[in-house]
Amino acid sequence: MECALDAQSLISISLRKIHSSRTQRGGIKLHKNLLVSYVLRNARQLYLSERYAELYRRQQQQQQQQQQQQQPPHHQHQHLAYAAPGMPASAADFGPLQLGGGGDAEAREPAARHQLHQLHQLHQLHLQQQLHQHQHPAPRGCAAAAAGAPAGGAGALSELPGCAALQPPHGAPHRGQPLEPLQPGPAPLPPPAPAALCPRDPRASAACSAPSAPPAAAPQAAAGASPPASPAPASSPGFYRGAYPAPSDFGVHCSSQTTVLDLDTHVVTTVENGYLHQDCCASAHCPCCGQGAPGPGLASAAGCKRKYYPGQEEDEDDEEDAGDLGAEPPGGAPFAPCKRARFEDFCPDSSPDASNISNLISIFGSGFSGLVSRQPDSSEQPPPLNGQLCAKQALASLGAWTRAIVAF
Amino acid sequence: MELKTTRADIISTVEFNHTGELLATGDKGGRVVIFQREQESKNQVHRRGEYNVYSTFQSHEPEFDYLKSLEIEEKINKIRWLPQQNAAYFLLSTNDKTVKLWKVSERDKRPEGYNLKDEEGRLRDPATITTLRVPVLRPMDLMVEATPRRVFANAHTYHINSISVNSDYETYMSADDLRINLWNFEITNQSFNIVDIKPANMEELTEVITAAEFHPHHCNTFVYSSSKGTIRLCDMRASALCDRHTKFFEEPEDPSNRSFFSEIISSISDVKFSHSGRYIMTRDYLTVKVWDLNMENRPIETYQVHDYLRSKLCSLYENDCIFDKFECVWNGSDSVIMTGSYNNFFRMFDRNTKRDVTLEASRENSKPRAILKPRKVCVGGKRRKDEISVDSLDFSKKILHTAWHPSENIIAVAATNNLYIFQDKVN
Repeated sequence: MECALDAQSLISISLRKIHSSRTQRGGIKLHKNLLVSYVLRNARQLYLSERYAELYRRQQQQQQQQQQQQQPPHHQHQHLAYAAPGMPASAADFGPLQLGGGGDAEAREPAARHQLHQLHQLHQLHLQQQLHQHQHPAPRGCAAAAAGAPAGGAGALSELPGCAALQPPHGAPHRGQPLEPLQPGPAPLPPPAPAALCPRDPRASAACSAPSAPPAAAPQAAAGASPPASPAPASSPGFYRGAYPAPSDFGVHCSSQTTVLDLDTHVVTTVENGYLHQDCCASAHCPCCGQGAPGPGLASAAGCKRKYYPGQEEDEDDEEDAGDLGAEPPGGAPFAPCKRARFEDFCPDSSPDASNISNLISIFGSGFSGLVSRQPDSSEQPPPLNGQLCAKQALASLGAWTRAIVAF
Repeated sequence: MELKTTRADIISTVEFNHTGELLATGDKGGRVVIFQREQESKNQVHRRGEYNVYSTFQSHEPEFDYLKSLEIEEKINKIRWLPQQNAAYFLLSTNDKTVKLWKVSERDKRPEGYNLKDEEGRLRDPATITTLRVPVLRPMDLMVEATPRRVFANAHTYHINSISVNSDYETYMSADDLRINLWNFEITNQSFNIVDIKPANMEELTEVITAAEFHPHHCNTFVYSSSKGTIRLCDMRASALCDRHTKFFEEPEDPSNRSFFSEIISSISDVKFSHSGRYIMTRDYLTVKVWDLNMENRPIETYQVHDYLRSKLCSLYENDCIFDKFECVWNGSDSVIMTGSYNNFFRMFDRNTKRDVTLEASRENSKPRAILKPRKVCVGGKRRKDEISVDSLDFSKKILHTAWHPSENIIAVAATNNLYIFQDKVN
């Protein structure tokens, strides 16, 4: 009766459940789908924080390498190799984060930094939202790139850099990589927001999406970084834990604002009060865009009112926000755009197209939507994908985040 | 303990009537089966109090909502009896969308001697009728017939999860995921909406109603539970729409138990007033809690039903067991509470002695007049003889529905498609 308790498999399972519920007799069960959406949300939180941490750590390493590049070239090679050992262990834990070695550090760097920036933005906004809901002053600092990267990454690195809830997973010792404070450095990185580190307050540190790893001594940030805060409460291993300030409305009251980042299209979509507007990332013109792996991407403009791509109908008489789901990512997606989340006052229909599921990831940030899609017109839909395939593709779109990095 | 089993479709609800003379079950096929207790007879002491089938009828049929392209399941979600006021019995049965009031009555006489019809009911040729006679009632074999007296339809957009008869015996309520409606038994084309938690923007939905019940004595008071583990007590005298609760029962979450599935396991699956009306009992996935109506910030008692499942939540999520909705019941004196578990186990907790017992409802382990043996689940380490390890529990055998006789120690336990009735015979 074992099962993998990692975020990705949970997301996959949850999506499968939602998909199959649409074909079950008796119609969609609101209660069950609501509960599944909570699990999805929780898994997504963890996934986000893991990705962010990893990107951040890579950023760290690249900067290190940058500095090393001042030195005689043969050192560079050394450092690349030096960086590498830190990778595989975490790569293993990160699943699709297939960090191969190699690639030019410099070429990799701007893209990675860029990704990091976007992810950072996303996470910032997300945390701010939590803040807003739970009045926690501190977590903002968690997202701030103030402190050095956590330990060299043996095991699951599901920590936020600088977050005091950092604990080297399984108590593994540092890999010997010196920790450095992240330098604001090159442009796309935002200035560290209220530079306070993740705080001493365990509740706030809990808000920093603490890892699933069993507690261990928090790594010591290098000079310049504030000392870590009190460790997250002890937990039983194998449970994702501690990411929430009690009570557990974490991320649920997303009615104020939620942001979703699509790294493939480099579009940041913000949902506010149920209405979407697009904050198109300035990097839409970024040279990195072209190099991003065009995969089946997250549908970016979930419910965007503005037509992002031609050819999509928009429901004029929607009283709620849902326009069409966006956007084919630039590379062209296997999923046709589909209508989303127009909830009218009737029980949700069964069987909207399965490709809706791929959009669920982005939708879920904005609350309970996505489960109550109306049946789209059959004309605009491709043959529905079965749930399994769809979940994989949805997950693949999650993995697209890292694919972009790997490409460099 | 005496045992009686009967096979049927998967049982979805079990309910004794107010005297305990009748026991109704509803199943997934939309059928209702009513058992009646044998009358005591002096010469057959052993057969005293056996339950036999009294009536069977099809309560609900599958429907299709063409407007919404939705199939409506015929599964009976709940049955509630009305108190008996004349020779007939009345019960409410509901599926996801429609509540029906059924009259169950006996017929032991039939009229004979019609003029215009013959004994088989065929019309007679008027030309052959030469005399007139007055029809008379003659005894016949007892026939129990069930007739639908009222159909309360089209009032629920979401799936009905509860019905509850008010102590005034004139009204009842029906609750779905987001709304609760108040009905008068006589009026089928109108109902009052008394609770509505549907948010203006469905994206903001965070909780649903999971169960609702009227207070046993105060006809203005009812409670409803939510998927967030909270209970609200409402007073209908306060306002027409009881969106604002009078009392709010919630226990703060234990942050050290936080997991991916915290929201799921805190969702309340059943809420029941005690017979006294002083307490409410709630069931969530792993525990049963007793609350005092006068204390809102935490329950007065918490009982672990199967805490060994806490480390298995991920697997239970995968196989959907984590969504199982267990019910809970009080005994007649409110001293013992009972609820079901997996592997056909059910648990009883004595509130006074704080002792609990795990019993199993299975054919192999139960013979008529055999004493039920307490069972034990072994959590870790060495497994003793007769213990069952957590990993060998059969999660397809779940006891979701149980009922307790209102005054005697007779319990009905529904194990998938089998109904077990256990009686505690003191003498």
